[in-house]
Amino acid sequence: MFNILRMELYRMARSKSVYICLGILAAVSILAFWFTFLLITPSGQEMAVKMGMLDFSELEEGRELLQSSDLLGMFREIGMDGGFFCFLTGVLAALFLGGDFQNGFIKNIMTHYRERWKYIAGKVAAMGILNGVFLAVEFLFVAVLNALSGNMFAFSAWSSILFYMAWAWLIVTAFSSLTILVCVLTRSVAAGVLASVLFGGGIVVSLLASFTSLFHAAGWISYTLYFNLGNGPSVYLGPGDLKIFGIGLAFLAVYSGTAVYWLRRQDI
Amino acid sequence: MHKEKGQYAVWTNALTKTYAGRAVVSNLDMRVKEGAIYGFIGRNGAGKSTTLKMLCGLAKPAGGEIRLFGKPVSDPMTARRTGCLIESAGVCPGMTARQNVTMKAKCMGLTEKDCVEHVLKATGLSEAGTKKVKNFSMGMKQRLGIALALLGNPDLLILDEPINGLDPEGIREVRRLLLELNEEGKTLVISSHILGELSKIATHYGIIKEGNLIEQPSREELEKKCTDYFQVEVEDAKRALALIMEQARGVQTEVFDSRVIRLYGLKEGAWLNQLLGENQIPVYASGFHHMDLEEYFLNRMDGEKERGGERHV
Repeated sequence: MFNILRMELYRMARSKSVYICLGILAAVSILAFWFTFLLITPSGQEMAVKMGMLDFSELEEGRELLQSSDLLGMFREIGMDGGFFCFLTGVLAALFLGGDFQNGFIKNIMTHYRERWKYIAGKVAAMGILNGVFLAVEFLFVAVLNALSGNMFAFSAWSSILFYMAWAWLIVTAFSSLTILVCVLTRSVAAGVLASVLFGGGIVVSLLASFTSLFHAAGWISYTLYFNLGNGPSVYLGPGDLKIFGIGLAFLAVYSGTAVYWLRRQDI
Repeated sequence: MHKEKGQYAVWTNALTKTYAGRAVVSNLDMRVKEGAIYGFIGRNGAGKSTTLKMLCGLAKPAGGEIRLFGKPVSDPMTARRTGCLIESAGVCPGMTARQNVTMKAKCMGLTEKDCVEHVLKATGLSEAGTKKVKNFSMGMKQRLGIALALLGNPDLLILDEPINGLDPEGIREVRRLLLELNEEGKTLVISSHILGELSKIATHYGIIKEGNLIEQPSREELEKKCTDYFQVEVEDAKRALALIMEQARGVQTEVFDSRVIRLYGLKEGAWLNQLLGENQIPVYASGFHHMDLEEYFLNRMDGEKERGGERHV
């Protein structure tokens, strides 16, 4: 398993797609900070009104919304809560795992590894590391942009940042394991990418929640990855806030376990 | 029994694989001696790749047993002693040859830096090591596939169509490489459609037809079976055959396309030309031929009748 992890990290470090996804995250962050600048700062507001982008009532609304936020809140708004981050890392998981099936590299691995669970474990571990690095780099990027824009947002407490990062990492990694499962089931990169859009973007959960709410049975939504990613706590207030870790772990175990089960049953 | 298994690099017993209830490999008893070059021959869809996949642990048998070097195929130690190239070289197209080999080396837990360079050099890819695989020709990809199979210095190499897409020079290089590896003591199981090429290196053969292993001769045994024959092309094969049967009793004959007669076990052919000439049967061509592996294979696969042949003794 550790050898597969080593291999995967070697590949990730040399893959253009990793840097492209980081670039996309950076571009989205810059864009978000640009709009924030237009909303909050007097010079930005003047520019926005001149350009006809906003009227004064919208300015007031936006300013109030943003001034109540802190750095962690901004970080969540930019890519995390809407599922954009999950979508991007899901695409990477699809490329790295579905790609093995599509180009046949999996044969090189499986002829050497008779215990197929090691392959899934190695992949999930590699995605876990990638997600951790991405979260850290993205946060760092947002923090730098905030500093460059004159600290528009107050810095959040370190305890909040670490608490949020811990459960967000677990939820995102559980999402990655879902993409891994879809790729194992379908052996297709395209199916993995589609799963990232549908699940990471919350489309499946939203549709199912709309449908079940017709029967007043949408309570299950609070146990989904997507809902928790967008609504999970930013500050630790008590043991009840740890529920999110249980949800993340449960999904991670179910998706990874199903992927192992399926891979063991199938011929390569 | 176990001692017998131990003598073989590959030993299978009643190996069977089914897809949707249909047996694609049926009760296969494969025996590959250590140090042999085993040419695995069969038509498309005969079950070659499926068998090789089962030997490599990529496919699960529906029944039977596989032992590699006397140990079950599920044993992780057997995986370490086996290098495989199945169907196509599974490589990451966006990476260089060296990166692909390095990736597999890391996956196998190999730490020596030399091993990557060694296999690239052995397969003639040292110069192309920095080139992205997506720009490789088919032949170069095959060579890279062999390089990946060679990582870890395995004792058994299972190669499915290793010379597919190679140019004549590439085929010669791969042949030389395979012979060198065999001289080092490695056992090779090779499937190929290029039977002429296979016959240059194989020491043993396995002929598979519709999932059944119909024959496993050694090179010597096969050479005995690939007998010389005298072939004569005449205008009226029916008359000629009747004449031959009368004059050369006990000689085995075959007729193809109503014009060609083959005579087995004949030592001299001049008298036959003379006989046919004297009886006003025009002869268009005649001479001795040697049956090669391809011809023998086709005989075993088709039977004489399918090719228009009819055997007489």
